[in-house]
Amino acid sequence: MIRPTYFLGRAVDAIARAPRVAAISVATIFVAAFVTGLFAAVLHGAGKLLDAWAGEVRISVYLDPSANLEAARAVAARLAGGRDVEAVSSEEALRRFRAALREQGALLDGLGTGVLPPSVEVSVPGIGLAEARTLAKRLEAVPGAREVDFGNAWLEQLERLLVRLRLVGSLLLAVLATGAAVLVANTLRLGVFARRDEIEIMKLVGATDFFVEVPFLIEGLIQGLGAGVLAAGFLAAAAAVGLSRLSRALGTLPLAGTDLVPPALLLSLIAGGGLLGLVASALAVRGELRKP
Amino acid sequence: MLDLYHVYKQYPGEAPALSDVSLTVAKGEFVFLTGASGAGKSTLMRLVFCAEKATSGQLLVFGRNVAKVKASQVPSLRRAIGVVFQDFKLLPHRTVAENVAFPLEVRGLSQGEVRRRVAGGLRSVGLELKSDKFPLSLSGGEQQRVAVVRALVGDPALLLADEPTGNLDPERTVEVMELLRAANARGTTVLVATHDRALLERYKKRVVLLERGRVAVDGGEIRRAGGL
Repeated sequence: MIRPTYFLGRAVDAIARAPRVAAISVATIFVAAFVTGLFAAVLHGAGKLLDAWAGEVRISVYLDPSANLEAARAVAARLAGGRDVEAVSSEEALRRFRAALREQGALLDGLGTGVLPPSVEVSVPGIGLAEARTLAKRLEAVPGAREVDFGNAWLEQLERLLVRLRLVGSLLLAVLATGAAVLVANTLRLGVFARRDEIEIMKLVGATDFFVEVPFLIEGLIQGLGAGVLAAGFLAAAAAVGLSRLSRALGTLPLAGTDLVPPALLLSLIAGGGLLGLVASALAVRGELRKP
Repeated sequence: MLDLYHVYKQYPGEAPALSDVSLTVAKGEFVFLTGASGAGKSTLMRLVFCAEKATSGQLLVFGRNVAKVKASQVPSLRRAIGVVFQDFKLLPHRTVAENVAFPLEVRGLSQGEVRRRVAGGLRSVGLELKSDKFPLSLSGGEQQRVAVVRALVGDPALLLADEPTGNLDPERTVEVMELLRAANARGTTVLVATHDRALLERYKKRVVLLERGRVAVDGGEIRRAGGL
C-alpha cells in the first residue's frame, strides 16, 4: 500500500525541482480565477446596488381627490405591516413640490391647490426590489387608490438590465471557465511534457496509471489552491480600493467591500482554483498516459 | 516463460517488422537475439513488455496471452520484467539511488525496504558510493550498471536487455554482461538483443538470429547463418 504522504512528497518535490514551470501554472490559474472573480464581483455588486437603491425609495399611493385621506392612511398602515405611513394632502404635496423646486418654485404660482393628488407615502428602508413590488401590489387595495408608484419604472428597467447582464455574464463565465481550463491544461501539459521521460520510465517499471497520475493531480491541486488564494486576496484588495475610489468620485455608495466580494465568492475562487488545477492536471497527464 | 506462435507485426505502409516468428524461451534460459539493424529485435522486445501489440499470432509471457491482457493488468506484468536499454533511460535530474528506487516504489514497498534494497543493489555493482550522484556525472559503463540494477532490483523473472552494451567500450561491455550472467545464474531468464558478434562468440549461449523480421537461425551456430 502506497502511503498518501509518498504522493504528497513527490508532488512537493516536483514543484521544488521545477519552480518556474510551477510559477507559470500558478500565474495562469491566478489570471483565470481573478478575471472570473472580478466578473462575478461586478455582477454581485450590481445586484446589491439595485437592492440598495430599491430600499431607499418610498412607495407612494396616489389617491382620488375625493378619497378619505385618513381612512386611506389607516388601511395603508395595516397593509404595510407597521411601516411608517404618512398621509399627504394635495396642499402639502404642492408645498413640497414648491420647496423641491427652490428658486423655480414661482413657476407653480397660479396653480390651484388640487393640481397634485393626495397620497399616502410608505417608508420602506432596507426593502428589496421584489418585496417592494409585492407591497406595492398590496397597497393597490387602499380605498381611493389610483396609482401606486415606487420608482418602479427605472428600477424595473435596471432590474431587467441586470437579469440580462446575469444571463450574458453566466454564459461569459462558462466560456471563460472553459477557456481557462484549456489554457491551464495546456500550461500544465508543458510541465507534464518536461517530465515525459519520468512517466515513460515509471510505466516501464510497472507503475499503474494511478501511481503516475496522483502526484500530478496533487501538484495541480496545490498550484490551483495557491493561485485561488492569491486571486481571492487580490480581488478583496481590488474591491476595497475600487469602492473607495468610486465613493470619492460619486459620493456615498451604499455598498461595502463584502457586497462586491462576499466570503462565499472568495471561498469559491479558492475552491475553483483548486478544482481548475486538478482538472487541468488530469487532462494534461492523461494525454501522456495514453501513450503506450 | 516466453512463447511466440506465428507472430506478425506490421506497421502501416512498411514491410513487416516481424513475420511468422515462432520462438520459445524456457525459464532460466539466457538467449541472445541478434540480427542486423531493422531485423526486428527491438520490436520483439517491445511486444514482450507490452509496449505494442502483435498484428497477429500469439505471444505468451509467463503463460499469459498478452493479446488478452487488459491495459489495467499491464503494470503487474511489467513488474515481473526488467528492461535495460542501450541509452540507459535514466532520469538525469534524479540521483542514482532515486533511479534505482523507482521499480520498488511502484510496488509500494516501505521507504526502509526501498533504501535497503537499493543499497544492496548498488553495492553488488560497486556503485554504493555513487548513490547520491546524478547519472550524467557517471561514465557510460556506470550508467548502464545503474540501469541493470534498476532492472534487477525488483527480482524480475525475465530480464530484457535491448543492445545493453551498444554504447560501451569492450571493458565496460564485459562488466555489464557479467551482471546479466550473474542474474541468469540466480534464476532470472535473460533475453539480450545485440548485433555485437563478439558477445555471441564470447558467451556460448543460445542465439536466435532475426533477418528481415523472420527467425533465420535458432541455436548456437550463428556462423552457419552467414554471420551478421
